Amino acid sequence: MKQSQTSRMVSYVIVLLMLALYVFPLFYLFNVSMKTQTEYLLNPVALTEGIRLENFSEAWNKGNFSQYMWNSVLYTGMSTLLTLILSIFAAFPLARRYVKFSTLIYIFFLISMYLPNPLIPQFSLINNLGLYNTQIGYILLKTTGTGIAFLMFVGYIKSISRELDEAAAMDGCGYTRYLFTILVPLMKPILATGIILTAIGVWNDIIGPTIYLSDPNYQPVTKGLFTFYGQYMNNWPLLACGILIVTLPLVVLYVALQRFIVGGAMAGAVKS
Amino acid sequence: MYPFGKGKARLIPYLYLSIPLLLYVVFGFGPSLVTILFSFTDATGVRGQEWSFIGFENYKTFFGASNAGDRMDAIGRSLYFAFAVVIIQNAVGLFIAILINKKLRGDKLYRAVFFLPVVLGVTVSGLIWQLVANPLGGPAQSFLKFFGTSSNFFGDYNIAFELIIFVQIWMYMGYSMTIFLAGLQSIPSDLYEAGYMDGASGWKAFTNITFPMIAPAFTVNMLLSIIGALQTFDIIYVLTGGKFNTTTLAFDVYATAFGTGTADYGLASAVAMIQFLFVFTISMVALFYLRRREVEA
Repeated sequence: MKQSQTSRMVSYVIVLLMLALYVFPLFYLFNVSMKTQTEYLLNPVALTEGIRLENFSEAWNKGNFSQYMWNSVLYTGMSTLLTLILSIFAAFPLARRYVKFSTLIYIFFLISMYLPNPLIPQFSLINNLGLYNTQIGYILLKTTGTGIAFLMFVGYIKSISRELDEAAAMDGCGYTRYLFTILVPLMKPILATGIILTAIGVWNDIIGPTIYLSDPNYQPVTKGLFTFYGQYMNNWPLLACGILIVTLPLVVLYVALQRFIVGGAMAGAVKS
Repeated sequence: MYPFGKGKARLIPYLYLSIPLLLYVVFGFGPSLVTILFSFTDATGVRGQEWSFIGFENYKTFFGASNAGDRMDAIGRSLYFAFAVVIIQNAVGLFIAILINKKLRGDKLYRAVFFLPVVLGVTVSGLIWQLVANPLGGPAQSFLKFFGTSSNFFGDYNIAFELIIFVQIWMYMGYSMTIFLAGLQSIPSDLYEAGYMDGASGWKAFTNITFPMIAPAFTVNMLLSIIGALQTFDIIYVLTGGKFNTTTLAFDVYATAFGTGTADYGLASAVAMIQFLFVFTISMVALFYLRRREVEA
């Protein structure tokens, strides 16, 4: 079907205006990060007079970002890895109905979306287990085998032929070996999306660290950035550098893995 | 049938499944149920302190205390937040998805950029908008100055909440759009050609072909945004900390339990239960209507 030239033009104009609404704040952020404090105070919106990369090292040191970054990497890496393993442990037998009451257990996992907010008893529990303000406790909290990765895996495993299980079993392959040497390689595309969506969730959490980690040495970069914001509220060039420092690894990762992220958002939403 | 052996080998899947199941029961499902229990007690965050059952006292406090007006405002604001976010986010998301689906040049770039805030997360997105809306001469202020006016933005009692709604939609519009795009791209183009033969084009084609065909994407988007909007409060935490008339039910739960000097777990749990009733009722009603529409389509 042919579309009229004008309707196409209008579409472009609207989409580009929308794009500006997303790109402008980032551009402005970058501009501010290159300024000196005086330059910013005199005229916040003017273009920067020069490139000042030393702003970044100042923000990095003042904001203690090396410690925060390390914590974020630790929490995100560990809990994503554990979440993925547990999601496979749960998704495979439920997708294949290799355990009794598979459907019921699946629904039991699903209803977590609708249950009352568990925040308060959860906090008491962590406190009573002596896991408050510990790295292990926080990783454990962020590890779940029933999240978005699990939902995506169940859908995906159903599309893998069941006869493969039987053939492998005939050749003497055990359950555990099947999971890790045959199933996991077959699940590569969905594993990638599962990893990314889980990691984004853990990395970006701000409420979790606020409640469970009061010791600054254990806090991840989201909380670190927020504390930094509280301390330097009036020094926006420094703050802008802090925000960019936190943003940069995510943007790089996003550009590299974009197709998995967007694809995963769709698969996760449509199949659940 | 289970192919991986008999006897003991039959138990391995149960063994592995029991780990995530246990974790879920202990850290998710269990605490959810205990919330119901807590809401009928006077439990506090003070360790070792005795607590007892007090019936519906917490619920009475919620609706009858001196600050009941604030609580009612929080309920109203939660519904306002959910309503505005669900309608605008999905309308804009669908609209942009339809435009991009016209095979505009650079479509991959648009999709990537609109989805970016989800990746950046609430802290970074929130602070970026704090910077843009800095009352002391930020670009938003310069813009208003051009029209001869000014604003405190996130520090203004009258519009802080609307601005939070704006940032929330800015953050998640790309998510809705992505799901709609997936739905749109699954519509075979010969459907439109057949429709064109029958005289269905433009708006008619949209209501008779596009809309029914993306019904599943529509259901998913509506449910995700309803549940999300009623439970979200991290954006409020980052942008205003609940000040300037921006408290919602979800934020109230957090503030009552973990705010400075309160730690009233009983009351906070009661608020959580009231929040739960809203989430449950609204999403079930929505699900009922949306599913019915899907079947008709």
